[in-house]
Amino acid sequence: MALFEASHLHKRFADQVVLEDITLSFEENQISGIMGPNGAGKTTCFNVLTGRFKPDRGRVHFDGRDITGLPPRKIARRGIARSFQMMNLFDEYTALENIVLALPEVRDKGFRVLHDLSNDSGAQDRGAQVLARMGLGGREGALASDLPYGQRRALEIGIALAAEPRMLFLDEPTSGLGTDATAILAELIGEIRKSVSIVIIEHDMRFLFDLADHISVIHWGQVIAQGAPDQLRENEWVRASNLGALA
Amino acid sequence: MNQNSYLSSFRAWFTAPMLLSFLVFGTMPLWIDAVGLYQYLGLEVMIWVIFALAVNLLLGYTGLPSFGHGAFLGIGAYAFGLTQFNVAANLWLSLFGAVAVTAILGGLVALLISHRRGIYFALMTIACAQIFYFIASKWTDVTGGEDGLLNIARLPVDLGLTEISIRSNFSLYYLCFAAYVIIVVGLWRLVHSPFGKVISAIKQNDSRVAFLGYNVWLYKWLIFTLSCAITGLAGALFAMAQEGAYINIMSLQWSGIAILIVLIGGGFISFWGPVLGVIFYFLARDILGAYTETWLLWFGLIFVGMVMFKPEGLAGMWRDGRTLLGRKPAPQPEPSVTEPSAAGGD
Amino acid sequence: MADFLLTLLPHLLNGIALGLLFALLSLGFMLIIGVMEVINLAHGSLFALGAYFAVMLMSQDGGITHPFMAPYFDLPIVLRYIVALIVAPAFVAVVGMGLEVCLRRTYGKDPLYGLLLTFGAALVLEEMIREIWGPAEYFLPIPKAISGGFFFGDMIYSNYRIFAAVFAMAMIGLLWAFLNRTPYGAVIKAGAHDSEMVRVLGYNLSRLRLYVFAFGAALAAIAGIIMAPIWGVRPHVGVDAVIPAFVVIVLGGVGSFWGAVSAGLLVGMVVALTAAYLTEWSLLSMYLLLLVVVTFRSRGFAGKASALEA
Repeated sequence: MALFEASHLHKRFADQVVLEDITLSFEENQISGIMGPNGAGKTTCFNVLTGRFKPDRGRVHFDGRDITGLPPRKIARRGIARSFQMMNLFDEYTALENIVLALPEVRDKGFRVLHDLSNDSGAQDRGAQVLARMGLGGREGALASDLPYGQRRALEIGIALAAEPRMLFLDEPTSGLGTDATAILAELIGEIRKSVSIVIIEHDMRFLFDLADHISVIHWGQVIAQGAPDQLRENEWVRASNLGALA
Repeated sequence: MNQNSYLSSFRAWFTAPMLLSFLVFGTMPLWIDAVGLYQYLGLEVMIWVIFALAVNLLLGYTGLPSFGHGAFLGIGAYAFGLTQFNVAANLWLSLFGAVAVTAILGGLVALLISHRRGIYFALMTIACAQIFYFIASKWTDVTGGEDGLLNIARLPVDLGLTEISIRSNFSLYYLCFAAYVIIVVGLWRLVHSPFGKVISAIKQNDSRVAFLGYNVWLYKWLIFTLSCAITGLAGALFAMAQEGAYINIMSLQWSGIAILIVLIGGGFISFWGPVLGVIFYFLARDILGAYTETWLLWFGLIFVGMVMFKPEGLAGMWRDGRTLLGRKPAPQPEPSVTEPSAAGGD
Repeated sequence: MADFLLTLLPHLLNGIALGLLFALLSLGFMLIIGVMEVINLAHGSLFALGAYFAVMLMSQDGGITHPFMAPYFDLPIVLRYIVALIVAPAFVAVVGMGLEVCLRRTYGKDPLYGLLLTFGAALVLEEMIREIWGPAEYFLPIPKAISGGFFFGDMIYSNYRIFAAVFAMAMIGLLWAFLNRTPYGAVIKAGAHDSEMVRVLGYNLSRLRLYVFAFGAALAAIAGIIMAPIWGVRPHVGVDAVIPAFVVIVLGGVGSFWGAVSAGLLVGMVVALTAAYLTEWSLLSMYLLLLVVVTFRSRGFAGKASALEA
C-alpha cells in the first residue's frame, strides 16, 4: 500500500465539476508529480489532498489511516506539510522566525507563556539548519518581506520542510523563477528528497520530468495518464494533449 | 538551563519603556494637580489604559477588530456592583466576580465568532454588543436600566493584617496603578511568549498557521476570552471610580472610541500604542473640549486621517522621528518584530 | 384562525414595505462591495444623512431659517417632497464621493483598513449629525395624499406603508433596468466582476469607483428618506440600518440582484412581525438575525471567497 492514497475524489463548485473521479497514490521515498494544463483542476486537487477543501465524494488515506475531511491542522499533525503557489509567508517576521514557528517542537510549546523562543537555543539551531539547507544561511535576521523573490520561494518551501513532515506537497514551486533559480531549486529538492517523500504540482514539464519518479497527468478534472517519466513520453494521451512536446 | 536563567533575569520581564511608564504613572497623583489637571483624570486614564491594552490584544496583535468591546466594560462594571450587593462586600471577591462573569460571557461570544475574521468578526462583535446593551437596558431589576446601578462602593483593600481605604481618588488611583503594573508585566510576557508569536502569526496569515498544525480557533478563543477578562477588570475599576455602573459605556460609541484610541496611539506596531492613545484622547478631550463641544468629531477626523496617512499612529511617528534623527529605532516596543537571538549559534 | 390571519395582514404589508426598503439599501451596499471590495460600515450613516437632509428640505425645523429661503417653504408640501427626494440623495452622493476619495488610500491594502476607515467615517457622520441637528428625534412631514390610513374590513391600513412599498418597488425596478438595459449598467457589472476588465474595456476605473460609490450612497439616502416616517429620524438610526443591509447581503449573496431583494423581504418580514408581537424586542431581532445568519449561512456564496470573507 502506498503512503498516500486518494480514491475516487469528486469536487464541484456551484454548478462546475472540477474534479471527477480522481484516484492517485504516492509512494514513500519518491518524488511524485502532478501535471496538467492551467485550469485542469491541479490546484483544486492539491487543496483537496491537503485538507483545504473537503471532497464531495471519495476518500483520502495517509499511512493507512483515513484523513478525508480532517481540518488542515490535523492533517498537518499527521505529517503532511505543504507550500503555496501564492506565497504565504509571515511578512512581519524574520526568515528565522518564519521557520521556527513551523517547527513541531515549537508548536507543542504554543501555550507555554513562560517560555522564551529567542532563548530557546534548540529551536533556534534547528531553524537555522533548515534555513541553511534552503540556501538561506546568513539571512536569519532579514524580514521575510525584505527578501528577494527567489529567496521568498525558498523560504516558502523551508516553512513546509521545517514542519518535519513525512510527506511534503509543493504547489508550483518554480512559479515566477528564472532558469538559474529553477536549477538551484531542482538541486535543493534533489537534496531534501533524501529525508522526505515529495509531491509536486508543476506546469514546468522539464523540471518535473527530470525530478519525478512517477507522474500523474490531470486534464478536465480526471487523471488521463500516469507512470514513470519515460513511459509518459510514449503515452498517446500526453502527446495528443501536446503536453509531451517539452518532455 | 539557559531558559530558566533567562526568565529569572530582570530583562526578561521589564524593559526601559515599561519602567518609564511605571515612573510616570506611579508619580502622577503627586504632580497632576501642579500641571493644571485633576486627580479623577488620572483615574480615568489608568482605567482606560487597561481597557485599551485589552482591545489591542485583539486588534493590534491578533488582527481581530472587536467593535463591541464597550459591552464587556459595562458587564464588568455591573458584575462588580452585583457581586458587591448580593454576595459579599469584599473587594477581592467583587473583582473576581467582575472578571469571571466577563470572561464567561466573553468566552461564550468567542464560541460564536472565533472561526471568523475581518468583516464577519467585526459585525458579529457589534451584534453581540448590541444584544448585551439591549438586555442591560431592559432588565431593569438587575441593572437599573437607564438609571444605572447606583451606589457602588469603593471597597477597602483588605490585606489580611491591615485594611486600606480607597475612598479618595488618590488612593483608588493606586489600586488601579497596581492593576496596571500586573497587567502590563503579564501582557508583555504573554506577547513575547510562543503564544504571542502564534497570535501575531495568525494576524499575518491565519491559514498558513493552520497548515502548520496549530489550532487557530483555540488561540483566537483564548485571546478573545482573555481580552474580555481584562476588560472586565477595567469595568470593575470604572464602577468604583464612578461609584455606579451605567449603560452608556456599553454603547457602540464607546466601543468605537476604544478602537479610535488604540489605532491613533499606534497599537498596530507598538505594545505602548494604546497607552499613548489614551493619554492623547484624554488630553484632547480636556484641552479641545474646553474650546469646542464638537471635539469628538475632530477626534474622529483625526482617526480617519490616521487610517489614511499613518496607520502606525503616534508610535509610528515616534519611530519615524527617531529614525530621522539617525538613531536606531527601539526594537522592544514592536509586537511582532523581535531580534533574532544569536543564542547557541556557531 | 381567519381572524388571526386578518390581523396578520397589515403586519405582513409592513414587512413587505420594510423589506423592499432594506433591499434598496442593500443593493447600494452591494454595488460598493462589488466594485470597491469595501464593506462600507458608513452606509447606515449615509442612510441617516439622507433622512436629515430631507427633513431640512421639508420643514424649517430642519435648520434652514434664513428668510431668503422662506418662499421655498411656502411651496406646496408635495412639491417640497419631490424636491427632497431628488436633492437630498444628490447631497448624500456628494458626501459619498468624499468618502470614496478618502478610501482610495486603503485600496490594495489589508481590508481591515477599509473597515476601520468606514467605521471611523460612520462615527464622524453620526457626530456631525448630532452637532448640526442635535440629539432629539425629528419627524419628516409627508404630503397628505400619502399619510393617514384607510379601512379594509375592520383593519386600518397605513397609506404611507403602501406608498413606501410601491415606491421602493419602482426604484428597484428602475435600478434593475439601469443595470441590465443601459451601457452604464454593463460597465458597473463588469467592474463588479473584475476590475481589470474595466481598464481593458478602456474605462477609467477610479472614476467608475467614484460614481458607483456616489450612486450607492444615493440609494442609501433614498431608502433613508422613505424609511424616515416609519423609523423616525435619530442620529443613531445609521447603525440600525447598516445591520439589516449586511444581513441581506449575507443571505442573498454578493452579486445576486434578486437574491438581495428576496433576502430583503425576508428580513423585513422578520423585523415587522417581531415589531408587531414583541414590540420591545423589534430592534433586537435584527441583531439576533445577524448572529444566526452569519453562524449558519456565511459560507453560502457558492463556495467562493468574496470581499466579505476577508
